[in-house]
Amino acid sequence: MVRYFTRLRMRRIYKWGGRPYIFDRKLKSYGFEYLNMSVEGQEAVTTVTPGQYILIEGNDDEYPFVAKLLKFFGDESHKQKKALVQWFLRLSEVPQNKKLLLGRSPHPQEIFYYLGRACDNEINAESILAQCPGCGIIKIYCYPLFLHNFDAETPQWALEVKVESCVPRNMTRQTALLNTRPLNPEASCTNVSGGNTVQLTNKVSPARHKKSLEHEKPSKAPPSQNLPNPDDAGPGSNSGLEKELRNSVCFPCFLIQVTPSTPRHATPSIPSRTVPARQPGNILEEARARLHVSSVPESLPCREQEFQDIYNFVESKVMDGTGGCMYISGVPGTGKTATIHEVIRCLQHASDMDEIPTFRFIEINGMKMTDPHQAYVQILQKLTDQKVTADHAAALLEKRFSNPAPKKETTVLLVDELDLLWTRKQNVMYNLFDWPTRRHARLVVLTIANTMDLPERIMINRVASRLGLTRMSFQPYSFKQLQQIITSRLNKVKAFEEDALQLVSRKVAALSGDARRCLDICRRATEICEHSTSHPSSAGLVRMNHVMEALDEMFSSSYITAIRCASLQEQLFLRAVIAEFRRLGLEEATFQQVFVQHRALSRVEGLQPISVSEGLAVCQRLGACRLLLLEASRLDMLQRVRLNVSQDDVLYALKAVRD
Amino acid sequence: MSKRKVKETHMPVGECISQVQMILRERFCHQRLPEKPVGMESQHKHLLELLRRTAVHGESNSVLIVGPRGSGKTMLLNCVLRELLEVKDVNKNVLPVHLNGLLQTDDRIALKEITRQLNLENVVGDKVFGSFAENLAFLLEALKKGDRSSSRPVLFILDEFDLFAHHKNQTLLYNLLDVSQSAQAPVAVIGLTCRLDVLELLEKRVKSRFSHRQIHLLSSLSFIQYLDNVRSQLSLPQDFPDTNFYDEWNDDQSVVDVLQRHYNSSKDFRSLHLLLMLALSRVSASKPAIKPTDLLEASRVCMVDSKANILHGLSILELCLIIAMKHLNDIYEGEPFNFQMVHNEFKKFLQRKSHSIHNFDKPVVIKAFEHLQQLELIKSMDSSTAKIQKEYQLMKLLLDHSQIMEALQKYPQCPTDVKQWAIVPVLET
Repeated sequence: MVRYFTRLRMRRIYKWGGRPYIFDRKLKSYGFEYLNMSVEGQEAVTTVTPGQYILIEGNDDEYPFVAKLLKFFGDESHKQKKALVQWFLRLSEVPQNKKLLLGRSPHPQEIFYYLGRACDNEINAESILAQCPGCGIIKIYCYPLFLHNFDAETPQWALEVKVESCVPRNMTRQTALLNTRPLNPEASCTNVSGGNTVQLTNKVSPARHKKSLEHEKPSKAPPSQNLPNPDDAGPGSNSGLEKELRNSVCFPCFLIQVTPSTPRHATPSIPSRTVPARQPGNILEEARARLHVSSVPESLPCREQEFQDIYNFVESKVMDGTGGCMYISGVPGTGKTATIHEVIRCLQHASDMDEIPTFRFIEINGMKMTDPHQAYVQILQKLTDQKVTADHAAALLEKRFSNPAPKKETTVLLVDELDLLWTRKQNVMYNLFDWPTRRHARLVVLTIANTMDLPERIMINRVASRLGLTRMSFQPYSFKQLQQIITSRLNKVKAFEEDALQLVSRKVAALSGDARRCLDICRRATEICEHSTSHPSSAGLVRMNHVMEALDEMFSSSYITAIRCASLQEQLFLRAVIAEFRRLGLEEATFQQVFVQHRALSRVEGLQPISVSEGLAVCQRLGACRLLLLEASRLDMLQRVRLNVSQDDVLYALKAVRD
Repeated sequence: MSKRKVKETHMPVGECISQVQMILRERFCHQRLPEKPVGMESQHKHLLELLRRTAVHGESNSVLIVGPRGSGKTMLLNCVLRELLEVKDVNKNVLPVHLNGLLQTDDRIALKEITRQLNLENVVGDKVFGSFAENLAFLLEALKKGDRSSSRPVLFILDEFDLFAHHKNQTLLYNLLDVSQSAQAPVAVIGLTCRLDVLELLEKRVKSRFSHRQIHLLSSLSFIQYLDNVRSQLSLPQDFPDTNFYDEWNDDQSVVDVLQRHYNSSKDFRSLHLLLMLALSRVSASKPAIKPTDLLEASRVCMVDSKANILHGLSILELCLIIAMKHLNDIYEGEPFNFQMVHNEFKKFLQRKSHSIHNFDKPVVIKAFEHLQQLELIKSMDSSTAKIQKEYQLMKLLLDHSQIMEALQKYPQCPTDVKQWAIVPVLET
């Protein structure tokens, strides 16, 4: 893959400064006092020293990582340049569920102390972009209210608060007030590890956490006294705050002030309604709402095995921090997407409970994009909220997944309707399956399509090989399963007779095993039941006859009714077509030939023969509703005519008319 | 009676007639919806109930209205929408989006149209939509953000639904139907089509997402009902100011005949309206009522064979060529012919039988032949016209024997020898 850069990259030169001191005798590593950075061709030299905040090169040029520099070290040759850092998270990097735990709306440029051990805090010093404390356009503001959690570092924070006391006063107060709002009890209840505090990261062991909590309780007062804002520093208000703090989130919060940018994409929405939607009134309406395909059921019955398999697969990958692919097939309406969503819901819950590391879930759908290459754009947009062209997105993703990067969480990517991502060179599929195999990718790809042998059928060898052999196929539901699905959805709402349910599920199982169909039929049956009685509230159970009617409506062919309802000349024309087919011994005739028969037949029937133009009009009408298949009408009389229904059906329908 | 009334209210006949014409024209040109759709009560109830649930309960639905052309699909839908919008709660709460397969010929145009009709473009201010992909993502985002209880239901009305199924990958249909089957903004997808096999056009994933509700509009109207309908169509509303415009024609046998003939040919109201429209145009101040002769005349205009009209306008030479082609068709049983063959046949006639027509130069005959081709009375069978010389291009005649004979009968001052030739071909001796 060719590396793709949008901007001309400037080469930076890094040099150690100060006197090296021996840091570790055995490893022969040296520590350094500071690092000089300069850009090639320019005179200006920046110096970074430990304790400063720095920006570190990451996936995204516009939003580099933020960290606090702890230590510089290297080997004897002084060529190796390493640094020890403490990571901070940008707001955009904080998982959604953690943001909710915060219990307030954070400033968009706030940063958060990162306690997770998922990423290495030893970095290459040459990836440092710039320093960012208190000078230039980037400023860090520290809010002492949130410092209690970090006993060891408290003095330093406090010191910085003093330095940065140039915070605009009103702003500080406003945010501080926001911060003190207590969390709602539900949010704190979800946390098991911290007792009454909520941690940003998941890897902190409960024991250590609690200890630190106890430890810091006495040390709460000193930092608060260092508050830059005299209003907040009053002892009365402070003790009140402290009480609240025991139940609230303890994050260190910083603001990085970057020049404000306008939001790049406004999110559109459908206008909201003036009158709220009415809730279901009676049992049948309730049943109908529950049977709608869109309603999310409490559980997914009949897919336990598949659920477990997928769950185990994804969970193990997330735990190990590795990647992998899985291919899932099955005919429409067998619950493939629903099962995966359920798996992800469960995993996300587990990660909220800090049982497994956090992960990102991204979903794309082949049908919901206009071109296979848009897949890159959508993935990138969902990952980083960037909006770029397809080629650029491919390059960025390539870079992201192939380079080691600190602070990387596993990405779970669901690719629905995989077959539509097929291109002639298959590069989209190739990339999707190739990324998980990279060492640093941490990508799990779940793919869904309808056909079981899709890898063999449409993929070239190198793509199919990367997809691997982790496959799963969802069988169409059997009638018992369908019945169970409906029963579980209805969940004790007594609206159906047992036999009626059985009939529906047997019928659908015999035809397709599509659960959507089953639900739709049941829904229609409730409507029929409702209409059959004069008063909607007095409607009883949905019985056999209602279900039969619904089944009839959905599955019966309308051709025969259409022929019966056709006008006399149209029926005559159909008879003429059949007569001509019999005469020719073929299933095809030109209009001219049929028209001769038509005229003869109308004489037999004692009707006035119609003109050719009218005959053509009759023929076109039959063609429009596809009882006949016609050639293009510019061929006029020479257009060939075929029947789209079997001859027997036509004769049956016409015979019934005459009787 | 009408005249007396006119006198009472002092309204001139001309004024009265123009009023009558205005009312009836509105009716026949489908500018005004009827009070209640006729002969489709159950379908009306079904559709109204369905859309009401979408509008009031926020339940997503999809439905197809299937029926032959002119069976009143659009009329039914418009009636239902009108009734739906009369409900107070609903009025401000639904967003109808009208699409037509003939106008929105691909998904890109359709998406633009949807965003326009939903007024979503305002959201992004003056930002001009970029690519098709952005457009799709934008719309899906918008629909996804909504939920059942709080966002306004959107009614997607897809006229000529079958044409949407021909779009690439059926992306639009998949997405609309997918929204209708998932917990997003409530939508109702209503398709109108005349194809009975429309479900077979849908891709399996799209089909699975469609609810399989179909409302069939197949008129099983008997002739008596049809006549009633004609009567009600022609009678004037109660509140018409002046006249009670009434006809005595319904006893007349000839009118019933005409209508029976129309009924036999097609049951739809659009062709009936056309017929009545023609009759209505003949009403004037001097002739203030529709007479049976008017209807007869209108019917004649409707039923006339278009090609017979063209044949009347041909020259004798062109007619002779047509007769020559007819004979060639008889001899070779419908095999194609070329100009040379036709010319030979024509020359044979000139030499042996003709008294009235003299010889024409070949270029003149070729010109006549080409004119026939332009009129599409004959059609070239070869696709590549450039390679073959004009005289040898294979042609087929697009006329029926009966049409030729009929035209000859009616042709003004047709020479008898030509007529004779049309019946008896020149035999080889």
